Amino acid sequence: MTGIRIETLTRTYRAGQVRALDGVSLAIAPGEVFGIIGPNGAGKTTLLGCLLGFLRPDAGSITVDGHAPDDLAIRRVTGYLPERLTLDRWMSGAGFLAYHHALAGLAAASRARDVAAALERVGLDATAGARAIRRYSRGMLQRLGLAQALLGDPRYVFLDEPASGVDPAGVVLFRRLLNEARARGATVVLNSHQLDQVERVCDRVAFVSRGRVEAMETLAAGAAAARVLRVRAAGALPTREALALAAAGAGAELLEVASPLARFAVADDAAAARLVAALVAAGVPVAEAASEEGRLERLFLEGPAAPGGSA
Amino acid sequence: MNRAIVATTLRQRFTSPMRVALLLFFSVPPLLGALFMPAAGLSLLGDSYGAALVFAAGMIGQDVSSGTLQLLLARPVRRSEYVLSRWLAVALATIAVVWTQIAIATLLLGARQAAPAARDVLALAGGDALLALGMAAVMALLSSLAPGLADLGLLLVANVTATALGAFAQFRHWVALARGAQEIGRFLKPEVSLAPMLQGGAVSWFEIVSWLSTVTLCLALAIAVTNRWELSYASS
Repeated sequence: MTGIRIETLTRTYRAGQVRALDGVSLAIAPGEVFGIIGPNGAGKTTLLGCLLGFLRPDAGSITVDGHAPDDLAIRRVTGYLPERLTLDRWMSGAGFLAYHHALAGLAAASRARDVAAALERVGLDATAGARAIRRYSRGMLQRLGLAQALLGDPRYVFLDEPASGVDPAGVVLFRRLLNEARARGATVVLNSHQLDQVERVCDRVAFVSRGRVEAMETLAAGAAAARVLRVRAAGALPTREALALAAAGAGAELLEVASPLARFAVADDAAAARLVAALVAAGVPVAEAASEEGRLERLFLEGPAAPGGSA
Repeated sequence: MNRAIVATTLRQRFTSPMRVALLLFFSVPPLLGALFMPAAGLSLLGDSYGAALVFAAGMIGQDVSSGTLQLLLARPVRRSEYVLSRWLAVALATIAVVWTQIAIATLLLGARQAAPAARDVLALAGGDALLALGMAAVMALLSSLAPGLADLGLLLVANVTATALGAFAQFRHWVALARGAQEIGRFLKPEVSLAPMLQGGAVSWFEIVSWLSTVTLCLALAIAVTNRWELSYASS
């Protein structure tokens, strides 16, 4: 397995007037969970279309495991969830999964069992599976689409806004399924505007803007310390050393002090709660404590030159 | 051919309330005719043209405009396989309905002491099957060119054009143009008359070759068109 290789990919629309992709080069390693973020019209969907072999690039090349993306050998090991999910509304959910199970060339002998397992995997019971798709809610449709994309445990999974329209439980489920895919070594390409989700599940993220990869962020290593808690005191703050000591005791790190404000790096919500308790115990009159935006949010808002972004 | 696509297309066609209602509308009156006017024999049944249109309309275009095709073609399915499977399913659905209609009509006529000759029944069934296969191929081409049910509009425009050309050619006595209009009409309704076989004769070679070339050409063009599609909505 060689993963996904994209070399100087260029794609234009309207006879070259609109440049959707402008010399994009990427390498996605096998087993990597790779995010694509960027503003609307940045070229993300075009990039995904090219990766799936639905769009022909004007120049450049894409290979998946050394094959063209529309090679049937690659399609056999690919799962795809489109953003604008349109399913055959007359079918039942289970019938739809059985149809895609057959289209994927999976063994007919295990079809009923696999379909039942796929429904259960996304939290849809047998009653929901027997219901016609036209009676599904938006969230149920998204779950069914995800079940379809993960049929047969594909080696390559392309997800376009997978958590769009799902409830918080669905978002947690989506994260769990993505982690399961990662655990079995699948390569996942995720296009999403939900930056907090991307930050939580992806190993690396490409920030695409005006058809180019403007920045590449590696999240896996630094994700644990990615959150910054901003604390405002009602009065004067103690000394920098006292704050650093209190933070260290709570497993956090003091980043900056500018009384009455202080910034701390924390691992997660629990660590943030511990830090606030430690500060109060140390006599700090905490008036407000709030998370700053995540790394990707900063990258998105301020561009690749912002701290944490590397072009 | 892809068995899953053929089977799913058949289920889709036979569970569409609109298509079933139209089929009943076209199929039941001739059967009532067979029951109450047995002297007319099988002539009231007409051919499989109407049923073929009911099943074939939007056979590819509806998948494109609804967006379901993108998900299907993300699977290991060749586009040619998709087109040929849809064509076969539509033709099979038409043949099943028309043959059922012929069988019921034959039983009704038999009950009224006016049973048709077996060779008449076979000739009608064979001709209907060839027309169903031919019309499914024509509609596959038109449906690959237009979204939704616009293939019916294309067929109508092509038929009106052929008729107008024929009338104009006759008015001006332009033999070549009249022949051209006739060929367009033959292209839009590819059929082979098996009637000569009933009199111990042979079916026209010209009709057979014309039917075969139309079916082959339509399917090849439909595959060529679908192979050129770009399916991402980013391109729109």
